[in-house]
Amino acid sequence: MIDVGALAIGLGLILALYSVVMSLGGAWWRRSDFIASAEHAALAVWGMALIASIALLQALVRHDFNIEYVASYTSTTLPLYYTVAAFWGGQQGSLLFWLLILASFSAVVLLQNREQNRDLMPYVNAVLMSTATFFFLLLTFVTPPFERLSFTPVEGRDLNPLLQNYWMTIHPPSLYVGFVGFAVPFAFAIAALATGKLGDVWIRTTRRWTLFAWFSLGLGNLFGALWAYEVLGWGGYWAWDPVENAAIMPWFTGTAFLHSVIIQEKKNMLKVWNMVLIMLTFSLTIFGTFLTRSGVISSVHSFTQSGLGPFFLAFLALEVVVSIALLVWRLPQLRSENELDSLLSRESAFLFNNLILVAIAFAVFWGTMFPVISEAVRGVKITVGPPFFNKVNAPLGLALLFLTGVGPVIAWRRASWANLQRNFAKPVIAGLIGGVALFGAGVRSYWALVSFSLVFFVLATIVVEFYRGTRARQAMVGENALQALSRLIGKNRRRYGGYVVHLGVVMAFAGITGTSVFRVERQVTVNEGQTFEVGSHTLRYNGLEERDTPHIAYMTANVSLLKDGRPVETLKPEKRFYKKPEQPTTEVAIRSTLGSDLYLVLGSYDEDTRMVTILAYVNPLISFLWMGGVVITLGTVLAMWPSRVAVRARAFASQAPSEEAVS
Amino acid sequence: MKRGQKLGIGAVLLVGALGYLMYAGVEQGSVYYFTVEEFQARKAEMANQGVRVAGRVSTGSVQRRTSAKGTELKFTLGDFAEGGGAQAAGLIAVEFTGVVPDMFAEGRDVIVEGKYIDDTLRAQTVMTSCPSKYEPGTDQAQANARKPAAAQ
Repeated sequence: MIDVGALAIGLGLILALYSVVMSLGGAWWRRSDFIASAEHAALAVWGMALIASIALLQALVRHDFNIEYVASYTSTTLPLYYTVAAFWGGQQGSLLFWLLILASFSAVVLLQNREQNRDLMPYVNAVLMSTATFFFLLLTFVTPPFERLSFTPVEGRDLNPLLQNYWMTIHPPSLYVGFVGFAVPFAFAIAALATGKLGDVWIRTTRRWTLFAWFSLGLGNLFGALWAYEVLGWGGYWAWDPVENAAIMPWFTGTAFLHSVIIQEKKNMLKVWNMVLIMLTFSLTIFGTFLTRSGVISSVHSFTQSGLGPFFLAFLALEVVVSIALLVWRLPQLRSENELDSLLSRESAFLFNNLILVAIAFAVFWGTMFPVISEAVRGVKITVGPPFFNKVNAPLGLALLFLTGVGPVIAWRRASWANLQRNFAKPVIAGLIGGVALFGAGVRSYWALVSFSLVFFVLATIVVEFYRGTRARQAMVGENALQALSRLIGKNRRRYGGYVVHLGVVMAFAGITGTSVFRVERQVTVNEGQTFEVGSHTLRYNGLEERDTPHIAYMTANVSLLKDGRPVETLKPEKRFYKKPEQPTTEVAIRSTLGSDLYLVLGSYDEDTRMVTILAYVNPLISFLWMGGVVITLGTVLAMWPSRVAVRARAFASQAPSEEAVS
Repeated sequence: MKRGQKLGIGAVLLVGALGYLMYAGVEQGSVYYFTVEEFQARKAEMANQGVRVAGRVSTGSVQRRTSAKGTELKFTLGDFAEGGGAQAAGLIAVEFTGVVPDMFAEGRDVIVEGKYIDDTLRAQTVMTSCPSKYEPGTDQAQANARKPAAAQ
């Protein structure tokens, strides 16, 4: 099966290349038989990627340690789900996994568009298959996953204990799906440029793909944050590490794209901008994959040079040059059909939302690449840490939060004073009351007051929107409130799904503000029986407990949370010592409530004196960040759910003759 | 004034704000980043400044003591040669008090951030390279692979 897997990768490379050539040839000479053949080849590519993946998975599950990859990342004692997760746990496997997702998405896109967008499809297919070709090239010539060792070790080197965590099974796939998902709207954008069908067909066709990719990428980042928070034991969830930045940059530009396409659909504006945004987003997904694998930036995650760097840069350069060339060629046809009427309008709110998101992405890029830039300019490597990212992004983030409230409510074209009053009087009052109330409650942090006032403001805009829509239906159709609300959402899923997503974003902002501004951090070294305080909590260290198993030795600190001098809850921060491979890990103890988390880490201990050093954190409102993720999920599902009207419309459209060129 | 111009002014303001924020952020949040070898060459000018030095913990150099302040840790930092042993570049003495990361051990690659005072790097943070998902097979391969990356 190993040889079959290796063969599948070789065949996949040939098929993908063939598919690119036949697609472009078919489009050029208008040969539908060429195009059909190209599409069949693309489906076969998916088959090849699948066969190679199955072969690798089988080798992993069967512990075939003759395969270097299997020996490097698994062992006979590794539980099955981590053995499967080792598929994306290493360099070669993760690239194959990338390819499998890409090939699968390509196949789905082809099947979805058998009867529609026929003029776009050759180019769409060509873009997707050239990306696949690139990954096949890597897997064939640079990092072949089926490399054999000269001998067969009895035991593998096992997956790193830090990765042996349930997030390992869900965080990387979610990120990859997000990364690869943006290839689909990008491919359609290129196809739109190539064919000159520059209307919003490419945008509407890929709307769900974009939303899906955006959602997966965001969720992947959130899973990563949660993983860091629960496992790494430094009390935080986001460190602006280059790896994290690589994953969040395309999410920022993707968020901008998600919003600006609405303006093109509704107003036929921002056509060039949308092209630029999707190109930027796709480039950043490739760049992110490159960054985490090339060793260009040293990071706390020890990336290593693997010879992949130049290939990625070459592919990236090719992609950027082709994109820009096509864009410049079509520039005259991409002129806006409408002009911006006023600064006080939904159009300009969306535009500023876009500019801010791109600014954030740029700042993150700049900070991440700063060591490289400073070395090129000044000959000294200078890194910028979290203070840089926080200082730049906090004000930009708040401006974005403000626009989250403004954008969906402000009038199109030009907002009159009456309109502003009607839409914003109540939310502004809500924000002010919230801010004043917090000030009265003793909050003096400028950041927190601004942020929470904005949170209340945006919340109020959302509530008002739901309330107005419901009341309007009640008045017009005569339904009761609940009926009206559910019909309202059901008939405008995209709009109200969007509001629900915004609600989740607002919750996330509340969580981020709470932990950034009000976080309490303390390090204490205490003897048995000693009490200590962190924030408003009183804690008592009762003693150390030891436990030994064949695989892991445990050293657990027993800490009581006291209320009025009596213990109400026990927390057990712990050190674990894995015996094979020998490595200590830290298990944090978290007591989570809606208002705040109490987070304890056993820093160190003295076996003789039983004295321990404990790191204690209070993270206010952090649960709102995670709940925000859940709400964003609900909103996205709501927005993506096919509405009956759309299904009917599509059924109708597929019978109608193909759309005329818009240019 | 035309609307386009108004919008242009808005965009210019945004770019200006971004530029200012990034400039201020770099002023506040930047730290020199050296390998041990690079640091040795410029340590005179780096006295009392915030620096980050990447290197390998020398074998046999680690001393730990638990006190009321936490763990007091002393070790020497060498470059990425095998074992972080003696090289032409020379070793850097490091002192740190606080919570020692799990992955810290002799022969491991670490990034130390702190100030260089009286020939000792007084560390605020010791970061261990988390053995990432993408590291190559063997320690030797890792050493080979890291060297050019770090020396860049």
